[in-house]
Amino acid sequence: MRTLFPRWARWVAATLGVLLVGVMAFAIFEPIQVLPRMHLAPGFALTDQSGDIFTSEDTRGTVTLYTFAWAGCGDECSDLDSTMATVRDRVAAEVDLGETEFRLVTMSFGGDAIEDLSAAATESGADGEAWRWGVADPALAKTIIGSGFRAFYEPLGGGGFRFDPTFVLVDGWGVVRGEYRYATLAGTDDRIVRHVDVLAQELRNSNGVASLAYEAAHLFLCYP
Amino acid sequence: MKRLVIVLVAVVVVAAAGLAVTRSLRPHLYAGTVLQSPQPAPEFTLPAHTGAEVSPADHRGDIVLLYFGYTHCPDVCPLTLSSVAKALDQIGDDAERVHLMMITVDPERDTLEVLGDYMGHFDESFLGLSGDPDEIARIAALYGVFYRAGEGDESTGYVVDHTATLMAIDPTGALRVVYSPEIGADALAPDLKELLG
Repeated sequence: MRTLFPRWARWVAATLGVLLVGVMAFAIFEPIQVLPRMHLAPGFALTDQSGDIFTSEDTRGTVTLYTFAWAGCGDECSDLDSTMATVRDRVAAEVDLGETEFRLVTMSFGGDAIEDLSAAATESGADGEAWRWGVADPALAKTIIGSGFRAFYEPLGGGGFRFDPTFVLVDGWGVVRGEYRYATLAGTDDRIVRHVDVLAQELRNSNGVASLAYEAAHLFLCYP
Repeated sequence: MKRLVIVLVAVVVVAAAGLAVTRSLRPHLYAGTVLQSPQPAPEFTLPAHTGAEVSPADHRGDIVLLYFGYTHCPDVCPLTLSSVAKALDQIGDDAERVHLMMITVDPERDTLEVLGDYMGHFDESFLGLSGDPDEIARIAALYGVFYRAGEGDESTGYVVDHTATLMAIDPTGALRVVYSPEIGADALAPDLKELLG
């Protein structure tokens, strides 16, 4: 039987077809998922609940979850503290981050005395190592939290603040990989833990051939 | 025999063509960390050693490489700036569309005159920027840069610990790629070509 195209042309077409289908399947079925690289987290130097300085450079190489509050927040921030504690415990129990450490930071809107910060940190369950509270000069805090982390807050009379509860997940390169500003049907801690797990898988496969597949997942926007 | 030679030649030609097509279709893999949904780079205007007030927005349509360093920096700053200078050499005429700005993290010692002398050692096109310390602190925070004066010795004076990432702002004005300070010229040059399109 005569055919329109020679055999080699059919082989080339078949190979290209398989490649095309493979690429489309990757983009549609997303066998690998990644968290988007959203924007750079801000640089900072904070004083923690022990009076020690810690900086954004100290979080390099770790996966860090940030939230924003102030020492006198009390019951208004109990959900934030409870979510941070739950995420800390669940990540430790459920996520394999390999050699990468998971840290948590509660950043104060500014102006807290160290003893107040220390009391609030103790109340929340922050241990000063894996979970630290930190405070900066109020003017710089506005730049760091408001502009850098894009979390809304504004001072009220009497030392309080109006604010949107916010969590921000940052990878070891200082890039924001997740922002959580409101509760959904899936609880905030569920979403954060799931996202830390997605990030952990990417970190564990960040070398060699597997890293190419993860770059492809970024290219095709395979986001959870 | 003749038929075999023709088949072999055809196979080689098809393989070469396939390879060429694959390479041309393959997305560029950047040597730095790419921000997938790039957002406008934080704006600023600072005085440069040339005497002009400069902003990344002045170079829309080109690439701006942004770096935070200082002239007394003993190691990482000169290495990074040298790598950028070599990368610009490698990309030929396209180098005219790449603008490096170094914002000093040591405005006390780095006057515009000092910055001018220092930047000239690497490339005449490099710009040294300084300004009000509070404004520099604000800009640095927005670009994810931390810095703090630390101890030094009599020969160097104090040193400044600082984040040493190199950042690329693409022609649309978006912060697009973040490089570690160890980036080499051979890795950076292809990225610059790609960003220029």
